[in-house]
Amino acid sequence: MNVSPAVATAAMAMVPSRITVENLDKRYRTATSDVVAVENVSFAVGKGEFVALLGPSGCGKSTILNMVAGLLPRSGGRIRIDADEVVQGEVNRKVGYVFQRDTVFPWRTVEANIGYGLEIAGVPKAEREARVARAIEMAGLAGFARSFPRQLSGGMRQRVALMRTLIMEPEILLMDEPFGALDTHTKLEMHKTLLDIWERERQTVLFVTHDLGEALTLASRIILLSARPGRLKEDFEVPFARPRDAVTLRETEEFGRLYSHIWHSLGEEFRRTKAE
Amino acid sequence: MPRERLKILFWQLAILVGTFCVWEWGWELRKVAGFKPFVPSILDPYFISKPSAIWTSFLKLGCFSDKAGFAACFNGNANNLWLATMVTLKNMWWGFLFGTSAGILAGLVLGRSDYLSKIFSPYIVAMNSIPRIALVPLIILMFGLGDMSKIVTACIVVFFVVFFNTFEGTRAVDRDQIAAARLLGASELTVLRTVVIPSALAWVFASLTPAVSFALIGVIVGEFIGAERGLGKLIIEAEARANAAEMMVTIFVMMIVGIILAYIVRRVQSYLLRWQPQFEQQH
Repeated sequence: MNVSPAVATAAMAMVPSRITVENLDKRYRTATSDVVAVENVSFAVGKGEFVALLGPSGCGKSTILNMVAGLLPRSGGRIRIDADEVVQGEVNRKVGYVFQRDTVFPWRTVEANIGYGLEIAGVPKAEREARVARAIEMAGLAGFARSFPRQLSGGMRQRVALMRTLIMEPEILLMDEPFGALDTHTKLEMHKTLLDIWERERQTVLFVTHDLGEALTLASRIILLSARPGRLKEDFEVPFARPRDAVTLRETEEFGRLYSHIWHSLGEEFRRTKAE
Repeated sequence: MPRERLKILFWQLAILVGTFCVWEWGWELRKVAGFKPFVPSILDPYFISKPSAIWTSFLKLGCFSDKAGFAACFNGNANNLWLATMVTLKNMWWGFLFGTSAGILAGLVLGRSDYLSKIFSPYIVAMNSIPRIALVPLIILMFGLGDMSKIVTACIVVFFVVFFNTFEGTRAVDRDQIAAARLLGASELTVLRTVVIPSALAWVFASLTPAVSFALIGVIVGEFIGAERGLGKLIIEAEARANAAEMMVTIFVMMIVGIILAYIVRRVQSYLLRWQPQFEQQH
């Protein structure tokens, strides 16, 4: 068994790795051909790290995330959460997951959506209500506890989805372009909220995005994937100090320099995607 | 806009009054020589009776105009208007209840299981292509002239409507919502209870309004073909005596029953589906 470079990085940093992906493959069989979506991807996410998985659309980054979550079977390789292998065909309950698509339950009010996980876990009503109230406060949804999702904007609904996951206090958080469908301003607001929460609680995060600015704002490390088939291309540290300010950070010189550096690398992959 | 609502109300009343006037006095216009060619023979009270005669028939069938008094008339006739209505409603209710329950259950099970739905699909298609009314004589043969045959008829008619809608609704549940529930710790049963059923409910309810009318149709047809009591039996008896007024009374009773039941379903629906935009205004 060969040790991949990413695993070595985590080991060198002396951070216990919580998500370990080794030689991960994903192949689809279509009617006409076999498609290789992900090829031999290895990386590790250390405890308390915020890692962004960045790449052009169709590069398989969401596929990787879904395999970590146990939502998709893998064709080869291993995925471990701590020491335990992610079981094929079984949802990974050790992680919190935030979808790109709106998955709040439209028939539940905001508070019932956020309290969903606690409710089915059998948490007593009084405790549940207290925790839900705190989460609503934290997400800036005060006054909307009894509203139904259709009465909320897209950004507010995504806050509900975020809090529905965070209230379960997952130590590992997987996020699949959670703010991809939001407009720029709302996105920035969401970045602020997420940074606030993460800088306080330091969950281990694997965050899929194709938005470089977003990755730089939020993450401590960026893993760049190549165009399809998704392979590991580069691994950047994002050295900006914390706590970060989602707005002013973008105006710093350092941000600009790192942005243009990764942009070139990413640009090659976008061109490859287009050329296909 | 109250002005527009007033206008609408005016026209609705005008149509109602106009219809009743033509119904009541239209045939009389034949006696005026010049009007005769313009009065169609369908207005003959022999066929459609007329409002005043229907009202008199209603008072008679409803035991209001009996010389012996209401109680004596009510007790003397096992199929008086009120008892007939009660019997029809009761049979309709049980048929609706069993048909709906079975339809929802089968729809959920087959909707959730590709395997079972593949096995059963040709049988369901075959069963569904039988005109339900063709089964009624057979059902009466099996279950007799009593209430059970009416309940079974209504049940079968209702089952398919509700089944197909529940099945489609179960199929249409958002996969990501199911995945989200699983990731939040939901078991298969919890997913069914907290995601699949509430999500499919909109589809189920869409079928309940027609299901109520179908249940009524099922029971009435059953009563036409062979029954001892019920509204359908009243109509058949009135037909034997060529009594259009009595048939009309029964038809009006059915209409009122239908309106009330549809209203109840609508209220329950708008409460349970209050999370949907189209029911926003009502609460």
